[in-house]
Amino acid sequence: MMSFLYFIPNSWLPLLESAFYALIFPGFIAILLLAFFIIWFERKAAARVQMRYGPLWVSKRTGGIIQLLADMIRFSFQEFIVPQGADFIPFVFLPGLLLAFSVLPTVFIPIGPDYSRIFPSNYTLLLAVAFTLVIPVYLVVLGWAADNKFSFIGALREAYLLISYEVPFILAITSAFLLYGTLDLVKIVGIQESTLPGIMLNPIAAIVYVIAVIRATGRVPYDIVEADSELVFGPYTEYSSLMFGFVMGVPYIELYSYSLLFSVLFLSGWAPATGIGFLGGLILPGIVTFVKSVIVMCFLVFLRAVYPRYKLDKAVKAGWSWVFYLALIALFLSAVVSRILW
Amino acid sequence: MSNQKTSRKSAFGEVKGHIDALATGFKYFVDPHRMTLDYPAEAMELPKNYRGFFRLVDEKCIGCSLCEIVCPSNAIVMMQLPATQPPTPQADAQAPARPVPRVKKRPLVDWGMCIFCYFCVDVCPTEAFERSNIHDLSYFEESEYRPTFDRFLKLPESPSQNSKKVVAKLDEKNGIKYEEGGKE
Repeated sequence: MMSFLYFIPNSWLPLLESAFYALIFPGFIAILLLAFFIIWFERKAAARVQMRYGPLWVSKRTGGIIQLLADMIRFSFQEFIVPQGADFIPFVFLPGLLLAFSVLPTVFIPIGPDYSRIFPSNYTLLLAVAFTLVIPVYLVVLGWAADNKFSFIGALREAYLLISYEVPFILAITSAFLLYGTLDLVKIVGIQESTLPGIMLNPIAAIVYVIAVIRATGRVPYDIVEADSELVFGPYTEYSSLMFGFVMGVPYIELYSYSLLFSVLFLSGWAPATGIGFLGGLILPGIVTFVKSVIVMCFLVFLRAVYPRYKLDKAVKAGWSWVFYLALIALFLSAVVSRILW
Repeated sequence: MSNQKTSRKSAFGEVKGHIDALATGFKYFVDPHRMTLDYPAEAMELPKNYRGFFRLVDEKCIGCSLCEIVCPSNAIVMMQLPATQPPTPQADAQAPARPVPRVKKRPLVDWGMCIFCYFCVDVCPTEAFERSNIHDLSYFEESEYRPTFDRFLKLPESPSQNSKKVVAKLDEKNGIKYEEGGKE
């Protein structure tokens, strides 16, 4: 393992691996580049479907892919304004916390069969889900702290939708747990490798999971929280400068961690690529998992081009009626399938 | 919560509707039919008598204020500028007792208020306004487009001056198609 790094003491290697994981590959830098790509892809895909060009003039040869970089440079030179009535500490510190908590689930989601060596735990699924569920609470606090009617209405909408869609989400996760019989994501992928991908074993749970993810990350048709034609930018209305860049990136990074979890839970993770060691056990399977989750993300942001926005009451009603029923059916299906398989 | 009566579909019909919508979106994603113009690179070819920005020909203007009077949006103000020479030398020779005017009156258009009705161009007795079909301007600084008399003496520069001129044509597949318009 990592014999090419002969000059580094053996005891440091696990630390180096963790650092590489956290900072470079599925961690910080990869997420940053992916956020740039996915925001560009979202705008470009919507433009193509709606007979427009989308971002183009920043670098015409690449189709305007560095548009977001230009925007970020502009944001970073803007003044950061704290409104007079705002609650200072939550207003200033919550964007950073949101960003941290949107990245945090990726720590618990394995990207290769050897990942259990870096983060040994039998409860990785539970931990990842628990950390994704913290974000909406912060969002509600953030909407309250800004002292703005749009922020507050956005926060209330978030609370409404949170209550109505968290239940199907948890039920979808529970049915995955029931299906595989373990909370260890590495073992879950192993079970999928030996049988079928989870999306074939329990398609209804996958559908419920996707709907709940669209709700949680505010993609169309569930962009009710930050509805830009009704509420200016929902809970994030009062933010300017770099803080705006942070809060704009949060849903996309959240989307990344949800998609990573989806590809591990339902798309059999790193399925064709298995091995041991740093390269065979982490990097190659990691690339496979990463590509799968990027495809899932591309599908989810592509919905912007197709759907209009749900009304709040209809979304809440749907969450408590057919999405909930589907989640119950998924639970039942999981019980049946797991009974048949093992 | 809502008592609205909407057209109810069966569950199967709803699912089919979602799949149809996604399929249509995907079709357009793979094979886009762009309708918008790639503007600063291409620009629409405008008709010859398009009412765009105009300039003042200082030598022709007699300062009669007719343009100011006729302007419906009050965009024209008559400015008093120092006269460099007597406007009518013959009149001075015939009646030397008459005082020589020290000022000349010249119109100035505020483009922010102008509605491009061209009443002033039509009413001018000496045809002192030179018209053009420039209709698009862009500036980096706010101070660059404030109306001043010197700026009014020459035509503004359009960002699409050197771009490819195209003509819109109806197209069965795309809706609108742009073709290169060679002739005026």
